[in-house]
Amino acid sequence: MLKRTRSENDVMDPAPSPVSATGKTIIGKQVAIEGGIQGSEDLVIDGTVRGSIELEKFHLTVGPKGKVEAEIRAGNVTVSGQLKGNIKALDRVDITKDADFNGEIKAKRISVEDGAYVKAVIEVERESQKKVEPVGKAIDSFASAPGKESIPLVSEGDKGK
Amino acid sequence: MATFTTLAERPKEHPDPDATQVYYTSNVLRLFAEYLERRQDTQVLDLGPICEETIAFLSRRVKRLYVCDMFLRMDRDRRRGIPPGRAWRHLDYPPQSFDGILLWELADRLEEREARKLAELCYTLIKPGGKVVVFVPGEQAVQDVVNAFVIGDGFRLYLRPQPHLDLPLRKRQNRNVLGMMAPLKSVKSFIYRNGLREFLFQHD
Repeated sequence: MLKRTRSENDVMDPAPSPVSATGKTIIGKQVAIEGGIQGSEDLVIDGTVRGSIELEKFHLTVGPKGKVEAEIRAGNVTVSGQLKGNIKALDRVDITKDADFNGEIKAKRISVEDGAYVKAVIEVERESQKKVEPVGKAIDSFASAPGKESIPLVSEGDKGK
Repeated sequence: MATFTTLAERPKEHPDPDATQVYYTSNVLRLFAEYLERRQDTQVLDLGPICEETIAFLSRRVKRLYVCDMFLRMDRDRRRGIPPGRAWRHLDYPPQSFDGILLWELADRLEEREARKLAELCYTLIKPGGKVVVFVPGEQAVQDVVNAFVIGDGFRLYLRPQPHLDLPLRKRQNRNVLGMMAPLKSVKSFIYRNGLREFLFQHD
């Protein structure tokens, strides 16, 4: 029985694989998929996908060359390419400056780089313990800086009073 | 009664080294936040330039935050030779959708006709009683580039240049701004020591 031993050639083998050593799947530039994608590992899309993507708690990345039109559910989502559709993320959504995004985002945290081409509806899940800064704080800071007041220019609401 | 701080007076631990010398506490933003606190299930539209600090500030205070970066869209249209009047196709929202609209300095980047069109559109999109926020940067050096209005703690605003945007500036006097937004009622406006002006309008 022949037993194949590992050689240097094996290590150097450039044969492409859709699954990297780090456990993520890459949909390459020349690949187009229409339909539903479900997975339990990170996914990087550099090609074209149309349909739905469900990755549970895993990370979806739409690469700079990626074109996606889909309903997305994932742990985290990073958008650097074109994405049209709705994102529901367990944790965060990052939109980079090269992104072209059109759709809805529901997540706990969202970051958007300056220059991103975005038209979106954003709903951030509010953590119950996180309080919004009370508006009164700003008034206190005004009062502590005498001599640096702004000048009320027009006050239509006060007219006639 | 707001504070305006010059670059020299700015805290050294300022979070953004790219921020310009404009850095002040906004009265209109405070009023807008107070207004949002009084409403329920609010929907607000931010017309950009979009920045994440402002998204974070607003999204904590509203139910649904709509963002449509009109600066980027107008810039792209201009580079493609698309007439400015077609920019409004992007604002395809149903009438009376929003409790608030943030125009920032968008109107100052528009010719008179388009600025009035924008005001009419705001009037259509805003709910009765809804508020519209308009800013006009003061200093020439600040006006030369388009800026994102970055909201920090305590309603402090600083301006972050957006060098990727190339939109000509149309300087307007206060009366021009008020006239241009005529369908909406002016509620409050403030001028700061560096000439920066901020306006709050309302749909009756």
